[in-house]
Order: sequence, then structure tokens, then C-alpha cells
Amino acid sequence: MDKTARLSFRRGDLVSVGLILILIVLCAALFFPRGENAASEVQVYLDGKLVYAYPLYEDRTITLTGVYTNEIEIKDASVRILKSDCPGEDCVHTGWISSAGRSIVCLPNRAEIRITGQPDVDFVVR
Amino acid sequence: MKKTYKLALTSILLTLALALSYMERFFPLQMLIPLPGVKMGLANIVSLVALYLLGGKYALSILAVRSLLTSVFAGSVTSFLFSVSGGILAILVMSLSKRVKFFSVYGVSILGAAAHNIGQIACAMILMNSVYIASYLTYLLIISIFTGFVVGFLSSGVIKSLLKTRMLES
Repeated sequence: MDKTARLSFRRGDLVSVGLILILIVLCAALFFPRGENAASEVQVYLDGKLVYAYPLYEDRTITLTGVYTNEIEIKDASVRILKSDCPGEDCVHTGWISSAGRSIVCLPNRAEIRITGQPDVDFVVR
Repeated sequence: MKKTYKLALTSILLTLALALSYMERFFPLQMLIPLPGVKMGLANIVSLVALYLLGGKYALSILAVRSLLTSVFAGSVTSFLFSVSGGILAILVMSLSKRVKFFSVYGVSILGAAAHNIGQIACAMILMNSVYIASYLTYLLIISIFTGFVVGFLSSGVIKSLLKTRMLES
């Protein structure tokens, strides 16, 4: 143990906060699609494979069984995991999602529910 | 410090790390912020103390055994992979940033918290074969600034008071 160890907060520590802020901005720019895509389809992935795809605008419930069982509810153009027998139930706590690009993840079940979008226009005149 | 002394200290820190990661379940930060992987990261106090008092190798071995044991007691192969991938990256980043002159324990801890999340998300991306999961990283990184600061504050206090005792001399 060297006696010169720096143990109290110093101004230089703000550099670490700055570095992380840059990363946050980069992540947000990369992974959050812009609003021009209207949400349209719910895709359910298990182990990285697409197992279900349903329109977001039709109400239904889906039972997804992997290592654990997730009960997925699509209602009023929103999706949530209604019930899950996984430990922690983070997926249930995530609540409703409704916009394109958002997803609910259940890590213990290796499941991902994704909302994908298509352009909200019929065609573009150039 | 004698080798036997180091070994004894390593075991005590390992026990503390196990206790802390168990205790953390009773104060879930996830109740406030419902995202997978959101944690205070109290066990990271042990990683920091080990890093500053014993060195990177000791911190790494404590982490490896801790992850293995928590997965054996209450977890799965998946939880082991997550805690190891985050933990190893965190310790690597922390031991590198400890060498940077303008960082104190606080900066090291904040970078460690962020690295932990990056490691976990990378592991999740590989396991679930999905790039979309990385969108969680944005939220996790924002939270890591706060949790990293709190853990840095706690570790700074622990290391300072341990240095005041005569325990670590000789």
C-alpha cells in the first residue's frame, strides 16, 4: 500500500463523469431511433430467435415458455409482461412499452420483446 | 505485508463481499428504477478496498470466488456469467484508472461502475444474440454515475479508517 494513494474527491474525478456522459450520448444516439417510425409490430425473441410476431394493434396475450414462463399482454397498442415466474421479475416491473425501438428483456428467461416500426406514411413524393 | 497476512485479509474481504451481495437483496434499487441489472453494487466496495490495500490480483481473485459462490448458493450459470463479465471488466478498468494521477477513489469507482454495466450488457448481447439490449446501457450508465459515487464515498471512508489503524503496518 503506497501512502500516496488518492482517497479524497478531487476535481479530476469529474473527468470520469465526463467520459461516462460522452458514452451516454453515444449510446442514446446509436440505439434510440428517431420518432419518424411509428410502432407497428411486436416481436418476441427467445434465445435470440424470433418466435412470435404480432401486430401491436390487436389485443392478445401470449404465453412464452423458455427456462421460465412469461405471460405477455398486448393491449391498447402497448405491451407488457403481465406475469413471470422468473426470479426478480424485472421484466414485470418494466411495465408497459409502446414506442418503436423499445424493448422488455427477461434475462433469466433469455427472452426479449421488441416493438418494431415502419414509416408512418403511405409513400413519399420526391 | 506478510503473505499469510495478505491471505487472511483476502479471506475476510471475500466473506464481506459475499455478505454485502446477499444483504443488497433486501434493499433493491430496482424498486425505484425497474431495469434489469440495476444495483447499488455494494460488493464493489470490497473490490476497491482490495485493489487499494492488496492490489489488482487479489481483487480479481476475490471477485472470481465471490461470483462462483453466490451462483452456487443462489443463482444459475447465467447469473455467474453476468457477474463475472461485469466484475472482471470493472476491476481491469479500475486498476488502470487507479494509475491515472488525477483520479481519486471516487473517479476510479465511477469508472468501475460504468465498466461493470458495459461488461454485463456485452455479456447479455452475446447470450441473447441481440443488439437491442444495448439501449438499456444508456439508462444503466446514467445510474452508474450515482451508484459509483456512493460506492466511492463509502470505499474512501473504509480505506482511510483502515489506514489509520495499525492493522496494515508491518
